[in-house]
Amino acid sequence: MSEFTRRLPVYLLLDVSGSMEGDPIEAVRQGVKALLSELRSDPQALETAYLSVITFNSSARQVCPLTELMLFEEPVINAGGATALGAALSLLSECIRTEVRKSTETQKGDWKPLVFLLTDGAPTDDWRSAAQELKSLRPANIIACAAGSCADTAVLKEITECVLLMNTLSAGDLAQFFAWVSSSVKMSSKSLDAKPGANIELPPPPQGFVIVP
Amino acid sequence: MSRINEATLANGRKIPYVVTDNPPRGGMKYTYFAPDKSYVVQFFNDPSKVDINTRNRLEAIIGKYNPTIPSTSGGAIGTDERLASYFRKRFCWPTDIVIEPEFGLVSPAYPPNFFFGNNASDYIDLKGKDKKSNWFTSGNRRFLNKAELGDFRAMMQMSILLVRSIRRLHQAGLAHSDLSNNNVLIDPKSGNCVVIDIDSLVVPGLFPPEVAGTRGYIAPEVLATMELDRNDPKRRVPSSVTDLHALAVLIYEYLFFRHPLMGPKVFSTKSAEEDDFLGLGSMALFIENPNDTSNRPSSLTATIKDLGPHLEKLFLRAFVDGLHDPMRRPTAMEWERGLSRTWDLLHRCSDPSCSAGWFVLHDVHNPVCPFCGKRIKDKKIVRLKINSQVSGHPGQYRSYAELDAANNTPLFKWHTNSNIFPDEKADSSMQAYICCHNDEWYLINSKADALISPNGNPVLKGQAMKLYNGAVFRASDSDKGTLIEVSITDNI
Repeated sequence: MSEFTRRLPVYLLLDVSGSMEGDPIEAVRQGVKALLSELRSDPQALETAYLSVITFNSSARQVCPLTELMLFEEPVINAGGATALGAALSLLSECIRTEVRKSTETQKGDWKPLVFLLTDGAPTDDWRSAAQELKSLRPANIIACAAGSCADTAVLKEITECVLLMNTLSAGDLAQFFAWVSSSVKMSSKSLDAKPGANIELPPPPQGFVIVP
Repeated sequence: MSRINEATLANGRKIPYVVTDNPPRGGMKYTYFAPDKSYVVQFFNDPSKVDINTRNRLEAIIGKYNPTIPSTSGGAIGTDERLASYFRKRFCWPTDIVIEPEFGLVSPAYPPNFFFGNNASDYIDLKGKDKKSNWFTSGNRRFLNKAELGDFRAMMQMSILLVRSIRRLHQAGLAHSDLSNNNVLIDPKSGNCVVIDIDSLVVPGLFPPEVAGTRGYIAPEVLATMELDRNDPKRRVPSSVTDLHALAVLIYEYLFFRHPLMGPKVFSTKSAEEDDFLGLGSMALFIENPNDTSNRPSSLTATIKDLGPHLEKLFLRAFVDGLHDPMRRPTAMEWERGLSRTWDLLHRCSDPSCSAGWFVLHDVHNPVCPFCGKRIKDKKIVRLKINSQVSGHPGQYRSYAELDAANNTPLFKWHTNSNIFPDEKADSSMQAYICCHNDEWYLINSKADALISPNGNPVLKGQAMKLYNGAVFRASDSDKGTLIEVSITDNI
């Protein structure tokens, strides 16, 4: 029966640079765990959403390939190093190219991927060309979240229109971010329909989060 | 993190609710629970879309269109306490409007059997999650424990209850407008279902709500014309005929665990979104369309043919003739009739490991379960053909229904009287029942007033009457009493 079910690929791009060490990285681990359990208990998300995690510090690594929720194994996440955002974005583009099914005459393609990017600092590598490629080709709907005061929202704006600012890097705020990601995935897996090319609808961001205009 | 807040109702009463982070959120509203979970308080995702029309609609829904409170208490006309209590089980109908801290509504919480308990799944922690239909009608079934899944008979029963609820809405001129697997909770274990999200009903004479609908349930004509201007006469909006599309989709999913329009055919290679827009909209094609098999999956176990003549015809009308021609879709009442007639043909599969457990035995000469492919092991197949007297022609009868008889099969008033239909108003007490003893078949009268045996003798309450092939008897001596013909076919 799943042979005609379209998948909704969801990529988490998580900044695990040195500044995330300690409480924040623990909150990220808990956040991924909570996200997984929330999505598994939503029938629509369970049927359609596939999850991948890409982490980046001095380099970028796909720690979990795109996997159906029930088979997804939580990644080992450790913090330390720089913020190679450019490498992460290039890797994202490559993963989308290789993992997301295209529509062909004989195959139902996947939905446009949903990407959640979480970063707490400014990039330390060359990110511009990778960002431009994502912004012009739009292979995915990207939601970027700048965590704390050190994050550079101007950079994120070069990647996507949709940028959120989370004021602190506290465990509470990070937990709220992951809860919001799960609501967003649930909502998208339900309302995948209607007008092709229309903007995706997301739930309002949690309290204390600001949409960067 | 949670705290108690207070909502002020339109009638001035104040009630508490628990505010939580990330409350459950649907397309239109988000939900908070009462401290004791006996009711829910819901607010709109986008309060700017709430206007006087929303309020007028909700007032009408809670008041004069409400089938869940007796008309003497301000509910819908013709509703007595018995009917009100029946529909309270079938609908999660809003009870009050909230005016402070912002506009919202209060609805009863779902009964506990619509929440998963402790042992629902070995893989996922589902305790306390609501039983949305598609846990049971998709690949997600594989994560649930067998005890949760029910059988084919339970799915038939829930289909009947659902069409009855929708028929009740349509009968009052209402339309649900967002019928979907999210808005019908089902409990296959007990064979019950409840329709929720009643607040987006289309109410006669009032401004319709702005509902986008849910993927897979939006009627093709609505999807195909949604780009048009709001005032364009060609634009189609949710109504009772679009409900009838969603209703047919739900019934099909309940009975086959697959979607009737989602097959292998690719409608556009431009994008998944465009492909879906066409494949569920202007180019939608039934996977079992007999004239165009281009969307038919390579393997289909059971098909609409296996549901017998009543349902096959209805599905062809819903998904072939009426897919793009809304007026040709079967009404909820036609579904109710077809499903009830088919219910009487259900037969237990002889294979204890068959996952469906029951099937529609529509061909007594080929009694094979379409779900497991095995022939039944019953020695004999007993059928009661039910005839009604042609009005104005005493003594002339016409067959209108059939009942598959097994040991303990009950006969109800709608089997003994042709003017009674098995709906929420009917007397559902057993009138008589079938008994098989030493390979002989009998009908036992439990409370039928005037059962008459084939040779013309009254069969009193508590007495048995022997059934044999070719026997013909009157189930009641009244004008509307049925004439029943017995057929017994040898199987093995």
